[in-house]
Amino acid sequence: MENKYCLTFKKEGYAIFTSHLDMQRLFKRAFKRAGIEIAYSHGYNPHPLMSFVQPLSLGYSSVCEMLEFRTKESYIPEFIAAELAGVMPEGIVVTECVRLEDGKKTLASRCCAAVYEIVIPLGDAVSEKAGSIDLGSFLAQDEIIVTKRNKKKKLVETDIKEKIQSLEASFVDNNLILTTKLDAGSDSNLSPELLLKAFLPFFGIGTDRSEIEISRVELICK
Amino acid sequence: MITNNMIDKKKLDAMLKRVVKPARYIGNETNLIVKDNAKVRFAFAFPDMYEIGMSYVGLQILYDVINSVDDVACERVFAPDTDMEELMRAEGMPLFSLETKREIASFDLLGFTLQYEMSFTNILNMLDLAGLPLAAADRGDDMPVVMAGGPCAYNPEPLAKFFDFFIIGDGELIQPELCRIYRDMKDASPDGRVSKSEYIAEVSKLRGIYVPSYYDVEYNEDGTVKSYTPNREGVPERVTRSLIDDLEDIPYPKKPMVPIINVVHDRAVVETFRGCTRGCRFCQAGMIYRPVRERSPEKIYELAKSQLDASGHDELSLLSLSTSDYSKFEELAVSLMEDCRQREVALSLPSLRLDSFSFRVLDEIQGYRKSGLTFAPEAGSQRLRDVINKNITEENIYSSLSQAMDLGWNRVKLYFMMGLPQETYEDLEGIAEIAKNIMDMSREKRAGKGRFSVSVSVSNFVPKPHTPFQWEPQDTRQSFVEKHNFLSDKLHIRGVQFNYHDSPVSYLEAVVARGDRKTADLIEQAWKNGCKFDSWSESFNYEGWEKAFEQTGIDGAFYANRRRSYDEVLPWDVIDSGITKEFLMRENEKAKAASTTPDCRHGCQGCGINKLTECKLGGIYGK
Repeated sequence: MENKYCLTFKKEGYAIFTSHLDMQRLFKRAFKRAGIEIAYSHGYNPHPLMSFVQPLSLGYSSVCEMLEFRTKESYIPEFIAAELAGVMPEGIVVTECVRLEDGKKTLASRCCAAVYEIVIPLGDAVSEKAGSIDLGSFLAQDEIIVTKRNKKKKLVETDIKEKIQSLEASFVDNNLILTTKLDAGSDSNLSPELLLKAFLPFFGIGTDRSEIEISRVELICK
Repeated sequence: MITNNMIDKKKLDAMLKRVVKPARYIGNETNLIVKDNAKVRFAFAFPDMYEIGMSYVGLQILYDVINSVDDVACERVFAPDTDMEELMRAEGMPLFSLETKREIASFDLLGFTLQYEMSFTNILNMLDLAGLPLAAADRGDDMPVVMAGGPCAYNPEPLAKFFDFFIIGDGELIQPELCRIYRDMKDASPDGRVSKSEYIAEVSKLRGIYVPSYYDVEYNEDGTVKSYTPNREGVPERVTRSLIDDLEDIPYPKKPMVPIINVVHDRAVVETFRGCTRGCRFCQAGMIYRPVRERSPEKIYELAKSQLDASGHDELSLLSLSTSDYSKFEELAVSLMEDCRQREVALSLPSLRLDSFSFRVLDEIQGYRKSGLTFAPEAGSQRLRDVINKNITEENIYSSLSQAMDLGWNRVKLYFMMGLPQETYEDLEGIAEIAKNIMDMSREKRAGKGRFSVSVSVSNFVPKPHTPFQWEPQDTRQSFVEKHNFLSDKLHIRGVQFNYHDSPVSYLEAVVARGDRKTADLIEQAWKNGCKFDSWSESFNYEGWEKAFEQTGIDGAFYANRRRSYDEVLPWDVIDSGITKEFLMRENEKAKAASTTPDCRHGCQGCGINKLTECKLGGIYGK
């Protein structure tokens, strides 16, 4: 048996300012504190067999983070969840642990989409914007071009239209709330940052990025 | 009377999205302690970045002991990085604590740790960010009592103006006592207010507390100190340091805070002993932490286990001034190695003396992945090593390196100091000589086994208070430049890397380390000129300091490059470290004769510390 598990957890409060790399270290230590022995890779530089299904950007909250890992021996999944829950820092909330079938591809490689909720405060401009935001016109564009830095740090233009699987808007209080399903995973991936980069200027929204809150609400695996 | 004084958290949230490493400011660490209903709040301030402060074991120790006091909360604050500071100033957000996000100005007590001189401008910057006046005299009863401790408090004078009082010596017992006294006074007060002057008068009765405003200082015409005179009754002529006789049952953190971001030293740490018996004449730590006080092996195992259990760290390190001087080191090392192997925890043993046992230990814990070996001969010739009483011989160095090469090490780092008292160019040549000999040896011994590299790091000597060299001048900057040029010529050797940062930092350190009350103006002016994070080369701003010298008329050479006579009153004479001036003079005279003083475990050398406490390991091998 491979002793493979998937842990789901929420990331909220100040914990959202913990980066992906720091989350890896945080979990490695949490497992040690909980006394759950993670399996290690063999070789010159052994590393714990543990990976996040899809990294979450710094500053995003989430209700659906997934960590796939293997242990040295078999545990009851509920035991793992309970032990880990007791040693987590505030804002990392364990929701569930399930055993994964042997022999299947990793969840990370099966991940294909993620749903985000984006809260954009509009202040007094809300009544004016409420009437004028027509998502149809945004999505009906032939292409949605944004510039981004590629891996060589060069600015390149890219069309994100095909990567937006769905987009809905609603207004609550003075906020515009977008719910959007975007490509996620190794085959095709779209960061909500790029969506915002196209969306905000299209509708003339001047809200500063630091006031916008983004939360991941669902991760979808094939 | 509950006021919350919380900062605007929505504003903070937005700021956190705009700065580098926001986790520095969130206070979400595992094992942090949040006391919502404390009656007294103490802010522990580390005047540098989070990554530096969280690597400091003293913070963990004091955090633990202060929080163990009923109704008292200890919260942390670090110097915000420049991007965060800019936002804070632009948004009018005052300096706040990590635990409960309260304004620092609303705390009852604020304590800074003084670890190195080049953090002093950060202290002023933090007070300013907190919205507090810099000078103690300008802060009213509605503002925190501001105190400082740590090694640099042994010469508190350059900072005297900014603090209500200083804590000299071991902090584990006195720090919680300071909080208890405040709490009890607050409890007894009808309106919940505590008069600062009454509080300071009360704590000044404790051994180890120095209240600068209780002393008048007079100066001679030449600028040297004429006298220190207590200006009220009951104040001692000299303040004797707080000293814990026995560490065994003194609290030590069992559940250390685990930082979220990667910090400099990210590991479990157990202090094995305090103090050192070697008596290196340049070393302040070797003097001010006397006598040697050890924890028992059982206590060390217990602390190591609880630290690892509670933190989940995958590295354990031992802390002391000289790891292998622990009296039962072999037993300790063997046993910890075994424990760590079972737990899959890396064991790290810093500052080992490289004898054959240490090599066996290092070989075993590092296996095939050997890190570089580090050696600190400090000086290039036997004569100069005798002057500074660094008791290692050339023979020690070469035989250790020969063993190291046999065991498969391929890198060695050598540390030296430049500008030591009585240094000549021959001594500098000796540095190059040692590097060259090691390379020659490696060619012979390691033929065909790959490259061997030697890195030589040279730093500038800074004479420190409370050491035998406290009277000695520092080399001038000009002399340092010439010596550096000479050395870099000599060190053009294949396989040898020479590291030296010709920076005026060491000169400023020398000025401030042995400064008097007048140097406060220099530090304040430098801060006004924009100096902060002076120990970070990317933010070090020498122009700001140079300008401050001009503006204040302070002559740096008077502090850095002047030889003091033995009968001069030194600004730090008001602090009694327990080591007598006679001993320091004797050691300085012996230095002039290049005569060594043996490790005092082989026989007491009469430093004076046994008048304050029982010196248990002094002379143990001599008996």
